[in-house]
Amino acid sequence: MKSFAKYISKRLLFFAAFVIFLLLINLLAFGLVFQDSMSEDYGENSPKRMLEEVSEALTQDGLPDNVFEKLENNHIWAMLLDDNGNSIWAAFTPKEIPAAYSLQDVALFSKGYLQDYPVFTWNTENGLLVLGYPKDSYAKITDNYYSVRSVQRMPAYFFGTLLLDLLLLFLAYYFSKQKILKNTGPIVAAVETLSDGTPAHLSVNGELSAIAESINKTSEILSRQNDARANWISGVSHDIRTPLSMIMGYAEQLQSDTHLTDTERKMTAIIIKHSERIRNLVSDLNLASKLEYNMQPISVKQENAVAIVRQAAVDFINTDIYDKYPIEWLTDEELSACLIHADRDLLKRAISNLIQNCINHNENGCTIYVSVSIEQNNCVIRVEDNGIGASDEQIEKLNTAPHYMVCDTNTTEQRHGLGLLIVKQIVDSHNGTTYIEHSTFGGFAVKLKLPM
Amino acid sequence: MGSYLHNKKLLLVDDEPELLKMIASILYNDGFENIVTASTAADAISTAKNGSPDLVVLDVMLPDGDGFSVMREIREFTNVPVIFLTAKDEAEDKLAGLGLGADDYIVKPFLPLEFLLRVHAVLRRCYKEDSPMIQLEGCTVDFSRAEVNKAGEVIPLTAKEHTLLETLARNEGRIVTVDALCEALWGDNPFGYENSLNAHVRRVREKIETNPSKPVSLITIKGLGYKLNTRK
Repeated sequence: MKSFAKYISKRLLFFAAFVIFLLLINLLAFGLVFQDSMSEDYGENSPKRMLEEVSEALTQDGLPDNVFEKLENNHIWAMLLDDNGNSIWAAFTPKEIPAAYSLQDVALFSKGYLQDYPVFTWNTENGLLVLGYPKDSYAKITDNYYSVRSVQRMPAYFFGTLLLDLLLLFLAYYFSKQKILKNTGPIVAAVETLSDGTPAHLSVNGELSAIAESINKTSEILSRQNDARANWISGVSHDIRTPLSMIMGYAEQLQSDTHLTDTERKMTAIIIKHSERIRNLVSDLNLASKLEYNMQPISVKQENAVAIVRQAAVDFINTDIYDKYPIEWLTDEELSACLIHADRDLLKRAISNLIQNCINHNENGCTIYVSVSIEQNNCVIRVEDNGIGASDEQIEKLNTAPHYMVCDTNTTEQRHGLGLLIVKQIVDSHNGTTYIEHSTFGGFAVKLKLPM
Repeated sequence: MGSYLHNKKLLLVDDEPELLKMIASILYNDGFENIVTASTAADAISTAKNGSPDLVVLDVMLPDGDGFSVMREIREFTNVPVIFLTAKDEAEDKLAGLGLGADDYIVKPFLPLEFLLRVHAVLRRCYKEDSPMIQLEGCTVDFSRAEVNKAGEVIPLTAKEHTLLETLARNEGRIVTVDALCEALWGDNPFGYENSLNAHVRRVREKIETNPSKPVSLITIKGLGYKLNTRK
């Protein structure tokens, strides 16, 4: 979601550049459109140039031929008025143009039109030169005055408008961005949940309904596949249980048969030991797959972690008849309760797995140290042993490398049981963290940190 | 293991004849002599009705129905204790959620010893009136009268002391956590009762131990709980 917002912000720069580009385009278009009339207004035949040329060329003998022709070609008429308003020279003047003017006439036409001809005046030594351009060739502004205050306000108006425009543009940009984020937000979130492997569901309406629909469809396919996989594993493990019961049942009965030789009894013991391994594996496999595909119902309630861990430890002590794996309870006597939100059975399963892990990896026995403590508002559960432990490399791998069951690449490495994977899955489902470390007692240590 | 329980009549229900035979042989070898079997739901219900067993061991998966509905039907006419045999995928919470009041459930596959322990535990719990007395080192506890008989002297037990001793006796030889004991004495979510529990343990020791400062029957397992050693 964050990266998406960042992406949108990057567009802001592009947007600003685009506004500048737009202004340049406007200028260019202006230039192209008015190129012709520009030369008309300010070029060789413009009234100002014409007035200069005619006034310079005009003598007692009239106009030289070339200027005369130029006037004719451009359909311009001309006349020279003396101080009394009488025409003393004229060229191409239409009939309706009078030959004498009063002071008022001059004042009026000098600003605008004479008989609808746009006229332009120029003061020369000999009198007032008047050029008349064809009707409808020029527009004259007859009331061209501005108050000084208005003129003074011009720059402020100009820049103010520019700023206001930019502000409005930015607001338009900002709100459309917000709208896009609002519309795409749920979709981005859904895609992110999907990539975590959890199903997503979007309500299908609005402009982006097609995307929402295909995300829902994808999610459905994914969860169907996951369900099928989990059901398959659960079915297989179910079918293994009954035959395994028979093997274990008869093997144990055989073991107590007094007619067996020592070797036969040892063989039977091995059968029992390994059937138990299969049993653990089968139930681990099923639980691990259910946790992985979110099919394990987790019922979270307020629970006392101390009581759960204590029960898990006591269950092991009660079954360890030979006292080969003594458990030391290192929880502070003062700490009788540590309340967390947890699924009692799953949390107990995690602790049992950790204790079983110590037993599995230390065939010659070891002491197991179990403790619960409160550290920085977290419930911290430690299960450690003084057994053979693990190398730095192994611990690094256990902490970081994905387990083969949840890994998509083929691994040729030695495969471990599912015990620790289940612990991690359970701790994850409780929003906790699993730390695998060296124990200060010399062996292996696992620390679970669960939020209180 | 309490031989009086061996007279109890057991009904075993499973659709797998070989498994049925095996369970029967495990129980027979342990000393149970009164064993009947059934391999279908219908058979199980009629046997339960006519044979009036003292305990039913019931497989969840049966060819003509599931164990849960069989139990519901059995409950119509008797309160006989029921132990479920499950292949785990029937989910523990389903068992709990059904609220059928099964006395225990055993997950397949199981070791015979484990199976026997669970059967004995349920029988002991359900037919405890048959065994209201336990023998301890130096005294006898009579639960039906809530009395301790120590060296000819009769000492009465309070209600809490009775519950405490009874909980420990049910798990005889096994550690019971302080949490489980507090729950038995004071109900759900019993926090902060550790000191009261200590006081009760002290008073019980004065009643049952020959030398209360050096207990041999009611043992403390530091930090974890208590254990009751009975005299076999």
